[in-house]
Amino acid sequence: MILMEELTKRYGESLAVDTLSVEVAAGEVCVLIGPSGCGKTTTLRMINRLVEPSEGRIFINGEDTRKRPPELLRRSIGYAIQSVGLFPHMTVEQNISVVPSILGWDRSRISNRVHELLLLVGLDPAGYTHKYPTQLSGGEAQRVGVARALAADPPILLMDEPFGAVDPLTRERLQQQFLSIQKELRKTVVLVTHDLDEAVRLADRIAVMRAGKLVQFDTPERLLASPTDAFVRSFVGADRALKRISRVPVTSMMQPVKTLVRSGDTLSGDVSQVPRFAWVTDADGRLLGWLDTAQSRSPDSVFEIDAAQVEYLTVPDSASARDALSRMLGQGVRSIPVIDESRRLLGEVTLRSIEEVTAE
Amino acid sequence: MILISQDAWWIWFLGSLFPAESQLLHPRASLQTLVLQHVALIGISSSLTIAIGVPLGILVTRTYGRPFLGITSDLTALGQTFPPVAVLALAVPLTGFGFRPTILALVLYGLLPVVRNTIAGLTSVPGEARDAARGLGMTGAQILLRVELPLAARIILAGIRTSVVINVGTAMVGAVIGAGGLGSPIIAGLIQNNLAFIIQGALPAAFLALLLDQAIAGVETLVPGNRATA
Repeated sequence: MILMEELTKRYGESLAVDTLSVEVAAGEVCVLIGPSGCGKTTTLRMINRLVEPSEGRIFINGEDTRKRPPELLRRSIGYAIQSVGLFPHMTVEQNISVVPSILGWDRSRISNRVHELLLLVGLDPAGYTHKYPTQLSGGEAQRVGVARALAADPPILLMDEPFGAVDPLTRERLQQQFLSIQKELRKTVVLVTHDLDEAVRLADRIAVMRAGKLVQFDTPERLLASPTDAFVRSFVGADRALKRISRVPVTSMMQPVKTLVRSGDTLSGDVSQVPRFAWVTDADGRLLGWLDTAQSRSPDSVFEIDAAQVEYLTVPDSASARDALSRMLGQGVRSIPVIDESRRLLGEVTLRSIEEVTAE
Repeated sequence: MILISQDAWWIWFLGSLFPAESQLLHPRASLQTLVLQHVALIGISSSLTIAIGVPLGILVTRTYGRPFLGITSDLTALGQTFPPVAVLALAVPLTGFGFRPTILALVLYGLLPVVRNTIAGLTSVPGEARDAARGLGMTGAQILLRVELPLAARIILAGIRTSVVINVGTAMVGAVIGAGGLGSPIIAGLIQNNLAFIIQGALPAAFLALLLDQAIAGVETLVPGNRATA
């Protein structure tokens, strides 16, 4: 969908971007990453012609981006930046409405769209439409920025360190929000970041840049498993095994588990089939806790996992192998159960199975 | 204001202040006429100042106008250092007496606050807002009208306010070359050593200045401006 062909940008004597050729497929999240000054932001800004290339071309859906006036091109591309750049004299609603109103949408269509977008980014419309940017927290402002970028429903979204200016906790929440929005909307996204964890988390493919050149363009898995040269290897870091397993969902490597079932006063199930510390579920398969079968076979001796403990004694089915590993290490156990939203036991992850996944 | 422009009121007021004076009101024209002349002087010159100053400030803050920023700043500053009386002296041979040279002097003198504040206001627009506006697809004109000017408006209006209020005082100089206005009684009073005349000119002018100051300040609060400072 976006084809960058031999893109070059020269400032005086130096090359900010050097014959870069990348193709981003429709619906794909492509992350540009690299050390400071590698040309990733310049490349991003060439896509919507905020910077004009010295050489090379960019094609969007087969059309050369130079064909149309830059303003028209930009209205069909969403743009979200780190400093957000919300207009301080406009309300949240007016900010988001900017591009639709330039495009001539009618009032009711715009206000419906604003409502829809605020819900999409996780902000309550009733509370936020009339607020001014100075009344927003960093995370809220960032969300409004993304809503504004998506307002006219552009097929392409360009993001320059969009989650950079907030604290790590908010950042993680924003990334989660982005992933769920992307799942729903399937935009073609080009995102610039310097944070490899963020890239690994969000990207379908990562383009590693250095001194204006493209060094490696691969999926996160392949990038982490087989970095092409010493630079990429040191860039992804020594803990790439851990990063790799952050992309492995627990559901893809969990193992089935035999359980004991407790309904009412009785405990049923074949004790010979279960390990010493057996998982106990109710009649519907929901995890109740565990039982040390060497100590007792009585239903009353089941160690029940209460609501407060669920978070660190189990992993949800949306978690990654890395989350499972982290829990196991934290609890000092060798296996951990995987549960769904209703607490039904789906399987378990063991340290052994993680070792097998990380073996190269 | 209506009260103040009544000659009768002034006769009573000044009479009580200067019982010895035989002539209390400047005979050449009624106070109403003088006030109207003064307002005309201010009105026309300030309008021209704004019409020249604001676009000038806009032009030099555009990327293509940047090279002229320095020169423009210097020239407008020069406009204010040049005494209006001197401007009058130079202009009269070219334009004749009365209204026109006065307007010229007033326009030149009032330009600095307007141009300077227009530049300051426009450069105070946050860079990221401008970048976002460009990235979203606004044309230069749209960015100016929808983002830059609304954010700069308060500062620009403050500059206009300064210029207009100072203008009220500067316009007195017009009386020297026959442009009329509230400067007339003042000049006459100075020549004839008549304090009543001077007050007759000075007080309404002060009042006018205050009125305009409040009026424009009122407009400033209506303008959206930057909500960060609201």
